[in-house]
Amino acid sequence: MQAAEFTGMLLILSVILLMAILVSASFGAVRVPVSAMVQALLGRHALTQTQHIILFTIRLPRVLASAVVGAALSISGLMFQGLFRNPMADPYIIGSSGGAVIGGCIGIFFFSQYSLWGFNATALLAFLGSAITMAVVYSLARTNGRTNVVTLLLAGFALSTMLSNSTYLFEAFESNSSTGTRVLSAWLHGVIGVPRWPQLCITFLLLCVGMTAAYPLMRRLNILSLGDDYAHQLGIRVEPTRIAIILVGSLLTAAAVSLGGLIGFAGLIVPHVARLRLGPDHIRLLPVSALAGAIFLVITDTLARSVFAPVELPVGVLMVFLGGPFFLYLLRKNKREYAL
Amino acid sequence: MTPFLELRAVGFEFNSKSVLDRLDLKLEAGTCTALIGPNGVGKTTLLRVISGALPATRGEILLNGELLHALSAKQRAQRVAMVPQQLDVPFDFTVQQIVEQGRTPYLGMLRGLLREDRDAVDRALDLIGATSLRHRVFNELSGGERQRVKIALGLAQEPTLLLLDEPTQNLDIGRQVELIDLLEHLRTEGITLLASIHDLHLIPGNFSSVLLLAPDKSLTIGNCAEVLTPQLLADAFQCAPGRHPLLMGAR
Repeated sequence: MQAAEFTGMLLILSVILLMAILVSASFGAVRVPVSAMVQALLGRHALTQTQHIILFTIRLPRVLASAVVGAALSISGLMFQGLFRNPMADPYIIGSSGGAVIGGCIGIFFFSQYSLWGFNATALLAFLGSAITMAVVYSLARTNGRTNVVTLLLAGFALSTMLSNSTYLFEAFESNSSTGTRVLSAWLHGVIGVPRWPQLCITFLLLCVGMTAAYPLMRRLNILSLGDDYAHQLGIRVEPTRIAIILVGSLLTAAAVSLGGLIGFAGLIVPHVARLRLGPDHIRLLPVSALAGAIFLVITDTLARSVFAPVELPVGVLMVFLGGPFFLYLLRKNKREYAL
Repeated sequence: MTPFLELRAVGFEFNSKSVLDRLDLKLEAGTCTALIGPNGVGKTTLLRVISGALPATRGEILLNGELLHALSAKQRAQRVAMVPQQLDVPFDFTVQQIVEQGRTPYLGMLRGLLREDRDAVDRALDLIGATSLRHRVFNELSGGERQRVKIALGLAQEPTLLLLDEPTQNLDIGRQVELIDLLEHLRTEGITLLASIHDLHLIPGNFSSVLLLAPDKSLTIGNCAEVLTPQLLADAFQCAPGRHPLLMGAR
């Protein structure tokens, strides 16, 4: 694909994302027309007061949150797939989901009424849980100043399985469990709440920092896919590069978890879809995965809250039903054997 | 005159087991040297130590009079390139994308490929005669084509010293001869070459000198007639005289 064609693709994806955000924000029990919304965003008074409140305290924060989550998970999945040279890698591969589950559990069952800087306790504890688990897994896999990638994968898997199963303990010892259990079960499938603006701004900032830090790492990921020895002989310091990739990927995952709980699948398939279309060059995959992930999540989250309204489905559930068949279709349609 | 490459009492230990011990070696610029020796004697390790991929645990390596370990990773990668036996690529990278990675030592954190980098990639592909493979997917190439692309990746680094680990392995005789001719062509381009070779038939007439790494960890260097003698080979490869055509005449 030529450079001009690629730029065009980015432009088209950006426009689609913008339109998806506007249209999604107009959906809901109270309809807010897109045209009025655009005028309101440009500073004119085109909305009734109810519409204004709904748009700015509920709809937009939620839609923007889904965009941030989608982008963060897709980039993180892209980075981990590249780092581990493994098609099954996703943002949770090194155990972050387990830590997030524990943190989320504690938050849901014990501190559901507290909040800090606009983050509720569940989000904050999930963020901490996933960050701490990833640090533990990483230190387990590190010996003599080198990280063994296989140990990293296995330690991540073991720890995350252990921690994930601890939810049953919380449920068993919770006397008045029905609400907590329901909230937890939805959260485990991924539910994008309605964040307050400070929380949204902080996570958006984390996404920006993550993407900026990820950009120079993309060329490194291309080189690392030739193997550690090659990377080393091409003058790359492999270990610091690997730490940087894990750090940025983990930060993005934790940010996504704090907004939407455990949303699976997006981080696994969006990079694959981008790769099927663009080839394996990570430098090009980064912006495309981010935009595609954001679009994907904005659309599925809107469907999740409006298809069976007023009942809301966990976005993760809908995503599997929508994304799964699409991914399988792409996989079959692709003429070239997908070597990974 | 300072030799191009000099090893002074170089040793390498792994898990407190000595793999290489007190090796001394001088190579002149513009030579093409074959490294031979039995399996497991440490040929690959020696190449990797010279390439800087493994740090020598003893002694020092000088390249054009400069200490190798005093160079930064980037500086080293601009001078020495290694073509390993294996290259497994997990994704569908094209030949061009793979060879472009060879420019890594010249790129900054953010700087992409410039005109001069693209020219170097073109030159590397041209040197190995693989310009037509440019847009093919690496994993779909034949063994001989892959070998050439790996060499192009090394050439894109524009090294003065090119190390090759068994470049003729798994090639049919036609591709082996093509590869040997390619090495000679690279030598005339001013690159110094050191290649480990298992197929001893390929060496006479094609390499300016032969380096024999023996099981007792001694190095013998000389021209083909001096090193490829039945006696030296029979001892080094621990093969009974008379069991192989190359060894006829050894006692």
